Amino acid sequence: MTLDFAWLFDPLYQRWLLNGIGTTILLSLFGIVLMFVIGIVGAAFLHLNVRYLQTPTTIFVELFRNTPPLVQLFFLYFMLSDIGLTLTDPATGRSIPLFTGFTCVVLSLGLYNGAIAVEIIRSGLLAVPSQTVEGARALGYTRLQTFRHVELPIGLRLCIPPMASNIVSLIKTSSQAVLVAVADVMYGATQIMLETFRNLEVMLLIWVVYLMITGLAVLIVRRIATTVRIPGYGS
Amino acid sequence: MTDVQPIQGQPAPKPQTQDQSSAPLIELRDVHKSFGSIEVLKGVSMSVRDGGVVCIIGPSGSGKSTILRCINGLITIDRGTVRVGSFAVETLKKDKELVPLRHEVAMVFQQYNLFPHRTVLQNLTMAPVQVLGEKPAVVRERALALLAKVRLTGKENAYPGELSGGQQQRVAIARALAMQPRVILFDEVTAALDPEMVSEVLNVIRDLAREGMTCVLVTHEMRFAQEVADEIFFTDKGVIVEHGPPGRLFKCPNDPRLKAFLDKVL
Repeated sequence: MTLDFAWLFDPLYQRWLLNGIGTTILLSLFGIVLMFVIGIVGAAFLHLNVRYLQTPTTIFVELFRNTPPLVQLFFLYFMLSDIGLTLTDPATGRSIPLFTGFTCVVLSLGLYNGAIAVEIIRSGLLAVPSQTVEGARALGYTRLQTFRHVELPIGLRLCIPPMASNIVSLIKTSSQAVLVAVADVMYGATQIMLETFRNLEVMLLIWVVYLMITGLAVLIVRRIATTVRIPGYGS
Repeated sequence: MTDVQPIQGQPAPKPQTQDQSSAPLIELRDVHKSFGSIEVLKGVSMSVRDGGVVCIIGPSGSGKSTILRCINGLITIDRGTVRVGSFAVETLKKDKELVPLRHEVAMVFQQYNLFPHRTVLQNLTMAPVQVLGEKPAVVRERALALLAKVRLTGKENAYPGELSGGQQQRVAIARALAMQPRVILFDEVTAALDPEMVSEVLNVIRDLAREGMTCVLVTHEMRFAQEVADEIFFTDKGVIVEHGPPGRLFKCPNDPRLKAFLDKVL
């Protein structure tokens, strides 16, 4: 059996792939931002025992962490417009879903990996020595100031390794975009396969593409970890 | 407790903010505290005059550290009163209400409790800027002077994890001083240090005591207690068993429990 990569030189396919890679990276970046916002806010609610918000946060975490991200994406994409979350397009006057496919993918990535991020960040916060917190309290820091200036900066550093895994998981999960017709790299690949029938070659390439994107993400995280490393702490 | 006499002829402490020529600066009355079913403090009363240096000694688990944490409101008490200057500590509940108290009462811990992610200089300047809202430039000047005082000039940009235990503890003392407190509580501050580092920390405390800073020390350094304290409190099983000037307390203790304790540690 010989591998035929001749299709790779077709400018149309190249454009599909490059645009797809761009979309995948964009989906992932927005997803990561949302993941961090959800993760930090959720972990803060739980860690600070915020009344009325603690239980909803716990329910959110369990709901989104313990269900398949694909189910969540389909729910967002298909169900929300069914239950009436629609807009009227001012140009055509037609009813369109409130969230585009792209938005739905970003939301689902942010929610699913954000729920996991809540627990990851919480584990980092719990690893901050109680003495350090007591030191801050004795200096007059309020509970919130202690969180903001002491617990969060140390806790986030302590949770970098599991957070890197979560980010990689998010990038990989973004390939679900193809299922709601968002033109990510997986979508481009599917189109090329339909036209060329070079399934093995295309899949091999996609494999490498994902490896490179996630590899790059891991490298960036390592770089950040080195930059924010606390000299003389824990080693 | 009214039997703590102001000692005349001491170096004048900082200007009095209120009339306290006779009232003690710190006064605990009948303080009770339980953690779960364990009663740690069973009616502790003690007082410390402004500028006084007081040591609390006693066996492990007798409530020494708990007494300190009652004074700055780190733990809430179940019964009794704690007064520091004009503050009725047991009535302060909210974080914001505690800020003025923590401004006046600083604390130094056995494990230093420094901020590992900030440099030595930042450890000193953080709280005055972030909690007290002072100007960074002013605080910085003060912090540099304090680092010189604890003989750590040159270590401004080091991180706590890069320093020895004795150096970290001196940073912690400087950090406490940066708040410009009236009182410093020392919680077994030499207990985690190598013997050779103990003296460098004790020297700093001795200087502070001589300058008239009100100090409350929980310590196992009996010789040091004897030297710097003007009053010693001996705690056992959650009560203050005996107290008095170190000369008398160490030489002729009355209580058999204190006698037994001193036999073991001296």
